[in-house]
Amino acid sequence: MVSDSITRASAHAVPNTGGRDLGKKKRARSAKLKQCKLDVRREQWLSQGAMKNKDCKEEQNSVVKAGKERSNNRSFGNLEMRPRGGQIDGSIHHHHHHHDSDVESNSPNSLTSSVLESNYSETTFTSSSSSSSGGCCSGNITEDEEGGGDDGCLDDWEAVADALAADEKPKNTCPESPPEHEPIAQTVFPQETAIGSDQVENLNPPYSRVIPKASGNGHAWRPDDAFRPQSLPNLANQLSLPNSNRKHYSCGGVPWAYNGVVPSSCPICYEDLDFTDTSFLPCLCGFRLCLFCHNRIMEEDGRCPGCRKPYEHEPVEAETSVHGGSLTFRLPRSCSMITRS
Amino acid sequence: MQASRARLFKEYKEVQREKVADPDIQLVCDDTNIFKWTALIKGPSETPFEGGIFQLAFAVPEQYPLQPPQVRFLTKIFHPNVHFKTGEICLDILKNAWSPAWTLQSVCRAIIALMAHPEPDSPLNCDSG
Repeated sequence: MVSDSITRASAHAVPNTGGRDLGKKKRARSAKLKQCKLDVRREQWLSQGAMKNKDCKEEQNSVVKAGKERSNNRSFGNLEMRPRGGQIDGSIHHHHHHHDSDVESNSPNSLTSSVLESNYSETTFTSSSSSSSGGCCSGNITEDEEGGGDDGCLDDWEAVADALAADEKPKNTCPESPPEHEPIAQTVFPQETAIGSDQVENLNPPYSRVIPKASGNGHAWRPDDAFRPQSLPNLANQLSLPNSNRKHYSCGGVPWAYNGVVPSSCPICYEDLDFTDTSFLPCLCGFRLCLFCHNRIMEEDGRCPGCRKPYEHEPVEAETSVHGGSLTFRLPRSCSMITRS
Repeated sequence: MQASRARLFKEYKEVQREKVADPDIQLVCDDTNIFKWTALIKGPSETPFEGGIFQLAFAVPEQYPLQPPQVRFLTKIFHPNVHFKTGEICLDILKNAWSPAWTLQSVCRAIIALMAHPEPDSPLNCDSG
């Protein structure tokens, strides 16, 4: 399924004026990014489940028909879409109405309406998410409307790949929205691209169809959105993590407790760690240091700088190398540590 | 001794790099002796020390960082854990809880934290408790 979708994404996400080659180049990275974003979106859908908006469902029946008519007009995306068309089956029905109201009643760039509608729209998608994920397994339905919806979905994934892989070069088609918001908005509402294109023009390039509405309606949470669940990962934070890890030695507390991160330099002497040092893990707390500093510490009080507990697995070696009294010297210290803290 | 010098030099460069990041701490090395440092710290807000600037003197031993630096207040400060006359600071990380992973910068942060949260259990200045 993944490979199918990628193929189509590359075929249809590129503007119609050409660019199939461009799409092929993007397949590999869009595959990975797509999977990541799928997981993130699924988490959002789940977290949003409690906020269902019942008003949406009332309009569904009437709007579905309108959506069918519109998507029948779309000819270019349907041929290759058929095998996997069923995937978006449910979601299209849920979303046409909502999207119509968005586009017709509001200007795409009005931020005030977007906050309100983000709640509204996300709730509709909770119902559609189950159907779309379930459809991935079968994918047998070959109606035209679903082909159109599938096309829109894949356009979004392509846009996600673009935004994430080349976030330093801003897309010329969407200067108004930051890259980390826009792809999320697009992935939430794949169908809106299809409908929007029908309203505006059928043969527009995918980017120009997708982006203005996604940024204007703001279906995904912004970082400062009041409706945004706290548990959601923040893309900016994730990107900044490696930088903060670099400064591990200058922070208080237990900064070395970052899981699996090997510092590039010894936090004691600030010398670079070589291969032997990086594979050297003397304490269970995960605090790493170079062999030289470790040896010096063993000659002194033998406590791990990270957790201040005595190094455990080399006591015999330390005893033989140092004076006989070091054991009695070390024990009271460790005891006092425990009582103090 | 060579290790402590190298480490202090690295810390000096680190301090220069992070000078903007932590405006509450100004850590300056003596021009001629890298084992002598001076720090200017701002009194933490919402404490009696708010608005004040306090000078600290660091004497770094040659065994540093295995041994903690000796720190004392040069500015007179009325605090339960600071000796009023000598400026000696009663802070566990400067004594037995020292870890080589600490830096002079992190010691300054710990002292600011101590100013904001005195520990009456280990008084050096009984009057101020």
